[in-house]
Amino acid sequence: MDKDKDFHIFKIVRKSWFEWILTAFWLVAEIMFLQAAIASRLELEPRAAMVYWLAFIVLLLSGLVYWIVRRNR
Amino acid sequence: MDKKKKLNRREFLKIASLAVSSIAAGKFIPLNEEHSVPKKRKMVDAAGRPKRPWWVRRVDEPTLEINWDNVHRFDARKTVRGSGFVRYAGQDEYDRLQRISAAKETERIRNNQPGYTLKDWALGAAQRDTGRHSYLGSQQAQTPDERGVKKWIGKPEEAARILRVAMRHFGAATIGFLELNERTRKLIYSHDPDGKQLIFENVEQAYETDTKRVIPEAARWVIVYTVQMSAETLKRAPTVIAEQTTELAYSRASVIQDKTQAFLRGLGYQGLGEATTNALGISPALAVMAGLGELSRQNRLITPEYGPMVRVFKMVTDLPFATDQPIDAGIMEFCKTCKKCAEACPASALSFNDEPTWETQGGWNNSGHKAYFENSIKCKTYMLEMAGTNCGICFSVCPFAKKNKTWISQWVKAGISVTPVFDSLLRSMDDAFSYGAQKDPEEWWWLDLPEYGIDTEQTVQDD
Repeated sequence: MDKDKDFHIFKIVRKSWFEWILTAFWLVAEIMFLQAAIASRLELEPRAAMVYWLAFIVLLLSGLVYWIVRRNR
Repeated sequence: MDKKKKLNRREFLKIASLAVSSIAAGKFIPLNEEHSVPKKRKMVDAAGRPKRPWWVRRVDEPTLEINWDNVHRFDARKTVRGSGFVRYAGQDEYDRLQRISAAKETERIRNNQPGYTLKDWALGAAQRDTGRHSYLGSQQAQTPDERGVKKWIGKPEEAARILRVAMRHFGAATIGFLELNERTRKLIYSHDPDGKQLIFENVEQAYETDTKRVIPEAARWVIVYTVQMSAETLKRAPTVIAEQTTELAYSRASVIQDKTQAFLRGLGYQGLGEATTNALGISPALAVMAGLGELSRQNRLITPEYGPMVRVFKMVTDLPFATDQPIDAGIMEFCKTCKKCAEACPASALSFNDEPTWETQGGWNNSGHKAYFENSIKCKTYMLEMAGTNCGICFSVCPFAKKNKTWISQWVKAGISVTPVFDSLLRSMDDAFSYGAQKDPEEWWWLDLPEYGIDTEQTVQDD
């Protein structure tokens, strides 16, 4: 319809309650790892910073893979 | 077409007068106290105790067993510091080790060994404590009598709060108070390291002679305080870089003591300090009883805020304070599993026992409590023969020596406090993250560290 051109339309995928909780944990973990990675640099602990960055990236990629797989279902 | 509503003169004057009167009122009416000072900067209670997280619990008894009947006032000359070492090892051995130490020092300087170069030794010499140690204080500050006024009288909570604020301003990190009773009096030395006897007498004023230092019976309160050491610097142990930060802590403490004695004198009270380094009483014991931390496998104090990266000092006074209780933050429990300091100690001077014991290792230990008693002879021998410094490796590897900037470290400390079952895993992770690994001494000379190398805003938990 013409009137729809004036609006942005978002679709929110239905997730189970379990998936929402998992997503929340994933988000919290990402924030924690990111904060720890940056703070470890400030603490002059390069090895700890590297481990936290690695954890952040691995978790990020895992989330991305999960999202792609889920989208293609 | 809508006409824009114009402001007429009457409405303009009304709004202007309201605005002006609001500004004027704000100048004279005090702001709501709750909003004028950020929460982070307010004292948590009337005694000025700083905010500690929920997992640091105040307890009635410390986290080590004490049999007070077997605790006796200790003679400080029996430690291995200074001439005490000769008592156990003999003069010949002491002289031999001193010769080795001196020869190694020169060799290391000539070889430009990192951490032992000429600039490092010059820094160490500069940090040597040249402070104003005095049992009675300099006696310079004007007393209330001299001002023609009455001495300061306040509630014990208020006394504790103003001392805490003043001493923090002088440079102390954490401050606790305890009262000397039949039990805790035993933590005051019988003799100071210089040989003078410490005697309690029923006199009004403390005094000192050639043979004794007299503590008035009314001087029943002990101020115990810590001075932060630079964790980043001490992680270069056992080099001179690390040693000089401990010397700096002693230096700063003698200034803090001098100022606190003057402050107490200005209030109309006595402040009896350490006449020499590590005098007056057993620092870790007094600190544990005053709630500053827990005893550890190193047989030293570990604090929730700074781990072992503190030095502990004390003073006795006749100003009544609101006293503190020991704490339980899971530190002593963690030490049972961790053993990182014992494993790292190159002299094998620290205990590997799973549980603390009653058995002391030598005359340098004070009996009457369960602890991980250390072999101080091995420790001191290593300091002289190999390290050439006061070492500090056990401090630098401790998992509690964290700067608390990561949120995860707070969760870990909370976990240590409430769920000891994960202690072993957390110790392993501490290794995996390379916490405690020795850092490059030469790198230290390139670091842009804060004053004294410490973060004076570091707490165990940020708001």
